Formats: sequence, structure tokens, C-alpha cells
Amino acid sequence: MKNLTIRNLSKTYFDLHAGANVTAVRDLSLEVPAGEFVSIVGPSGCGKTTLLNMIAGFIPLTSGEILVGGRPVKGPGPDRGVVFQSFALFPWRTVLDNVAFGPKMRGVGRAEREKIAHEYLALVKLSEAAGRYPNELSGGMQQRVGVVRALANEPDVLLMDEPFASVDAQTRMTLQEELTRIWEQKRPTVIFITHDVAEAVFLGNRVVALSKGRVLEEIIVDLPRPRVWDDLNEDDRFKVLSGRVLQLVRSA
Amino acid sequence: MTPLLLRAWSHYLRLTTHWPSIGTIVPFIPLIVAWWIVSELQVFPRAFLPGPAEVVRSFGSLVYTGILPEYLQDSIGRLAVGSFWGIALGIPLGILVGLSQRAHRALWPVLLFFQAIGDIAWLPILVIWFGYGLTTMTVVIVYTVIFPVVLNTVLGVRSIPIAMHRAALSLGASRTRMLWEVVLPGALPNIMTGLRNGLGYGWRALIATEIIVGTSGIGFLMFDARRAGSVVEILLGMIILGVLWYIVDSWILAPIERATGQRWGLVTK
Amino acid sequence: MTRHWLSSALWFCAPFAVLLVLWAVLVPYFDVNPRLFPHLDSVAEAGLDGIKDGTLVRHVGASLLRVTVGTVLALVFAIPLGIAMGVSPAVSGFLTPPFRFFSVLAGIAWIPVASLWFGYGFGAITFVIFNAVFFIVTYNTLLGVSTIPLQVRNAAASLGAGRWAMLTEVLLPGALPNIVTGIRTGLGFAWRGLIAAEMIATNVGLGYMLFVARDFYKTEVIVLGMIIIGVLWLLLDRLLLAPIERATSERWGMVQRA
Repeated sequence: MKNLTIRNLSKTYFDLHAGANVTAVRDLSLEVPAGEFVSIVGPSGCGKTTLLNMIAGFIPLTSGEILVGGRPVKGPGPDRGVVFQSFALFPWRTVLDNVAFGPKMRGVGRAEREKIAHEYLALVKLSEAAGRYPNELSGGMQQRVGVVRALANEPDVLLMDEPFASVDAQTRMTLQEELTRIWEQKRPTVIFITHDVAEAVFLGNRVVALSKGRVLEEIIVDLPRPRVWDDLNEDDRFKVLSGRVLQLVRSA
Repeated sequence: MTPLLLRAWSHYLRLTTHWPSIGTIVPFIPLIVAWWIVSELQVFPRAFLPGPAEVVRSFGSLVYTGILPEYLQDSIGRLAVGSFWGIALGIPLGILVGLSQRAHRALWPVLLFFQAIGDIAWLPILVIWFGYGLTTMTVVIVYTVIFPVVLNTVLGVRSIPIAMHRAALSLGASRTRMLWEVVLPGALPNIMTGLRNGLGYGWRALIATEIIVGTSGIGFLMFDARRAGSVVEILLGMIILGVLWYIVDSWILAPIERATGQRWGLVTK
Repeated sequence: MTRHWLSSALWFCAPFAVLLVLWAVLVPYFDVNPRLFPHLDSVAEAGLDGIKDGTLVRHVGASLLRVTVGTVLALVFAIPLGIAMGVSPAVSGFLTPPFRFFSVLAGIAWIPVASLWFGYGFGAITFVIFNAVFFIVTYNTLLGVSTIPLQVRNAAASLGAGRWAMLTEVLLPGALPNIVTGIRTGLGFAWRGLIAAEMIATNVGLGYMLFVARDFYKTEVIVLGMIIIGVLWLLLDRLLLAPIERATSERWGMVQRA
């Protein structure tokens, strides 16, 4: 796991449909130590997805720098794993092959990478689904696969783009608890994008509120771990923190 | 990408959102320009590949002499008659086969086989039976149109959820009412797809028939020109064919198909 | 499993058995003029003769060869081109109308031009088949690639897929259902175009066999030819193409279009 440094990052691009330049990210700086879980919140259009896409290397930055473990980011790569809101699983491959994809790209042999894939599937209790195809699974199950597919590659940084937004409320809470459990086991450096304030506070060590392309404020979440919804829903500190973050987001 | 290019492309995209037809026509411009350049440079001998100018001139003279409008009328007329009968016979047959499990068992393999033979293969025997006239052509078109119509109608009928049949029955619908109120509307999106496919195949079959045994029409125009060694008319014929069908399909048939399917939120397969 | 397959195969053949019986009985019963419609036994005889003296084999062989060559050539060009075009949304959107236009001119409309450019025979017919398959497969490939969600492609990139892996692991499988549909439709047009072209532009092949027999009122040869054409296409489409199409799109739960 490596740390992530963002210095004076800006992104301006030409919007084809508006016919004008748009600044999505403005002189943004952020420091994420290795192994920390950072939630990024903000209203739509605040630039959080653009930020994630730049860290992932899907889009180029206009100015500034993004460093992972001290090395600048150049395009997408296995050192930054991504979990997508739409799951983005490969429908033509089984669940097992999806999870084994990253190792396959690295040249790991079949037996070895299937072993790895099985391990990670067991982590999210999806071992029986190994031979099934993604379209046979429910949304929640598909996203679990999405998460371990990224994790199986042992990335330096895990980027999660509103991963639970396409899933129903009950499943979402279960997935959030599962995510914290996995995180406590593996301790990856995580950037978690969401517009759900409670989710951001539940999951992160720190919540970063964005507004109009820059950082508004950072709030430390000092709630003890392990975190469970049944407990936190009654917890006063949790309510205070969520309230603060919500205030920030709404004022943005 | 240079900013200027981006701005131009952005303008283009916004234009096409307002007027989709522009998005359809503009891509052809480079094609026509390339054609013009290739023919001017005489990359192939003029006799093999004439330029756009000659084709346009030929178009003008054929329209002026009344040949083109007459041939067009002939072709479209035959297609209309053949399609009408193909649809009039195909939809009822499709409904029958779709509704009755026994009819399906008995007829489905036969339908598939005769569709596999294809329209063109019938020409020789049709010529023996009916000679070179309108009857032969009409039969070929009916034959061609009927299969997509029947097959898609069957598909449509069979994809109506059984719950709908039951709902209608429990609301007191008689057999005939069922047909009108449930089966036909339920199968309509697929029927439209069948119509669209059928007309597409029918159009091609018409041209083939006119090429092989015709005495007038666009297909005949092309074959006659070939005999005379005149490429210009052949190209003209092909362009007319393509444009005509493209227009009918994109601006008339596809919207109707989409309208029925989407309006009712049904998925067409 | 085999039992189910066997029983459905039998059910499929049953109506034909009935038709054959009707044919064998009714045609002689109504004393139909053989110049109008042949008797079942004369068709069978024509078939056997054709096999014995090799003419039937020659015709079928020529037809199949042309279809195969034309199709393979078309696929070799169409699939890479379609993928290259489909990768960029701007390019695919721009090039879609021309390709749809040319798809419409499937096969048959190219016969006059083809026979003028290539003369009569193998070249012209293969060209017709090539066109029938090429445009439709390119268009469908383009469509298939353009429907692969950007996020799936991004996911592959962030899992370390290089250029080649992206092509073989993402683009090709992603577009495969559409490609197969395109091939199936294209072959349908190619088969019809083949028969039509062989009627006027050559001196060997199934289409030619049919057309020439017409001159001599040899209806038994015509009907034999029609049956062979039907059976060949039925076998190809139902036993090969349709199962592949079903296997790819249904197994993977992907929706096909066009």
C-alpha cells in the first residue's frame, strides 16, 4: 500500500456539447497517507468523479501533479485499482475469470491465478458463484465481485467511484459493513467517492468535502472500529459528524 | 486535438442534435468527394468508374425522358402489390401458427425450410409456370415478404405473457375479442419488425427478379445498362436503390417500429 | 440430453416426411405434367445421376467454394475495420450512415457492376458475396464495439490490460454477439446473392444449374436444386449460426441489435 499525493491539481477541458471550456478541478491539493480510507463527498458537478478519473489515469490532467508512492501517475494501471458504479464486470467471462483478470494481465499462470481468485471470492462469501456469469448475479453480488476483482490485483491505491449507488438500500448497508471488514483486514489506501454523507462518515478515517473543483474542508472521523450500522445509528458522535458534513455539502 | 478542430466538431454535434438529418447526410460528403477525385484522376478507366458528374447528368436525362419515373413507378408498384399480399397473408398465418401449438409443430419446420430455399431459387420454376410477366415477379415478392412477416408475428404472439391472456379471459373476453384486444396489440412491435425486414428483403428480391427476368424497373435498368456496357446507369441505379431504401427504412419504417415498441414499453427482439 | 435432441430432431423432420408422402402420392394421382412439376422418383433419380457423373458435386462445390472464399475474405477485412472504427465514438457515429447505406445494397445489386468489372465467373460472384458480407459485418462489428460500456474498457485498463489484451479480452468478446448476428445476416444475403449471380454470370454452380434446366423444362433438376439449396442453408443456419448466436448473447446476457 502506498501513499497518494495530489498537488495543485487542475483540470480544464472543452465541453463538446456546451461549446465552451469547463474547469472541473481547481488547484486541488490532498495528502493521503498509506493505508488510510478517505471519503470524498460533494454535490453533483463538484469535480469528484473527474478527480477520481485523473487519479485512475483515465483522463489526463491539465496542471499539477498526482503521485502514488512518490511516482507520478501516467495512464491507467494495476497499481490503482478501480471499482465502478456500474460494476463494469466482463459479461463474457465467469465470475472467477473476472477476478483472475488482473493477475492474468500480469502473466500469472492459470492454476496460481485461479487460486488467488478463489481466495478473494471467499473473502466476500461468493465461492459458489465462481462458475457463474455476471448477468446471473444480483446487483449486490456483482459489486462484491467488482470489489475483489480490483483487490485481487493488490493495487497500491483503491479508487471507488460511488460503488454502492446502483444497489438497493439494504444491500448497500451490508456491502458497506463488508467493505470496512475487508479494509481492516487488508488496509489498502482507499479513495471513496460518494454523495451519501452517512456512507462517507461510516466508512472513512477522513471525509473531504469538495465544492466547485476545490477542497472545502477536511473532517477527521475519529469513530472507533469495527463500525457496525446498528451501533452507529444510535451513536451521538456519528450524528454530529454526519451533520457537519451534510452542512458542508449543502452549503457548497 | 487542436482547439479549432474541437470547436468545429462541437458545432457539428450540436447541429446534429437539433437536426438529425444533417448527421445522416454530412458523412456522405467526404465519400462523394473521394469518388470525384478518384474518377478525375482516372485511377480506373473512365469506362469502369465514371464520376459523380456523369451520374448526375444521366439522372437528369433519364428523368427528362420519363424513363426513370416510369421504371421507378413499376418497381415500387410491384413491391407494393407483392408486399401487400405478403403482409395480408403473413400476419394471419403468423397468428395462427403462434397461437396453436399443433399448427406450430406441423408448420414451423416447413416454414423454415421454404425460407431457406429463398426467393431467387424459385425463379426458374416460376418462369416455367407463369412466364416472364408480372405474376412471376409478384409471386417472388410475396414469397420473400411472407417469411419475415410470419416468423416475426409468431415470435410476437408467443412472447405475449400468458398472464395477459388469462387477464383478458377473466375479464370476459371472447376468442375474437382476444385477437383484437390482446394478441394483435401484443404482437404488434414484433409484427412491425417483421414488416420492416420483409420489405427490406422484398426490395432486394424485386431488384434481383428485375435483373434476371425483368422487362422494366430499376433492376432492369441496371441489367440493361450492363448489357450495353454503360456503367453510368448501373451506378445510378445502385445509388437510387440505396437512397430510396435508406429513406423509406430510416424515416418511415424505423420510427414506426420504434414508436410502437417504445410507446408501449415493449421490447422487440 | 441426447434423447431430447433426438426427439426434437424427429419432430422437426416429421412434417417433411408427410410432405414427401403427399408428393409421392398426389402428383402421380393428379397426373401432373412432368414439365410443370416433377415426380418424386424422377427428382431422386436426377440426384443420383448428378452424383454419379459428378455434375452435381461440381455445381455444389463451386457454389460452396465461392461462398466460403467471399465470406472469409470479407470477414478478414470487416472485423478489424469494424473494431478500429468502433473504438472511437466520434468515428463510429460519423461512419454509421455510409455503412448502413452500403449494407442496403446487399449482394444482388452489385451483380451488374461486378460482372462488368470482373467479367463472368468466379471473380464477379465472389465480389458479390464479399460485398454482401463485408458491409453488414463491418457495420455490426462497429455497432458491437460501440456498445461496450466505457467503464468496462476502463476497468480492463486499470487491471493492467495492454493494447493486445484489450483487443482480445474486451473488444472482440464484447462485440461478438453483434458480429455473429452480422455474419448470420450477411451470409443470408450472400447465399441469395450467390444463387442470383450464378443465374446470369457464370456457367457452373447451383444457380446456373437451376437456370439452365429451365430452358429444357427439366423440372426434376430444378426441384432437386431447390431442395439442395434449402437443405444446405437450413443446415448452415440452424446447426451452426443460430446456436453460436444463442450461445454468445444469451449466455452472456447481452442484448443484440440490428
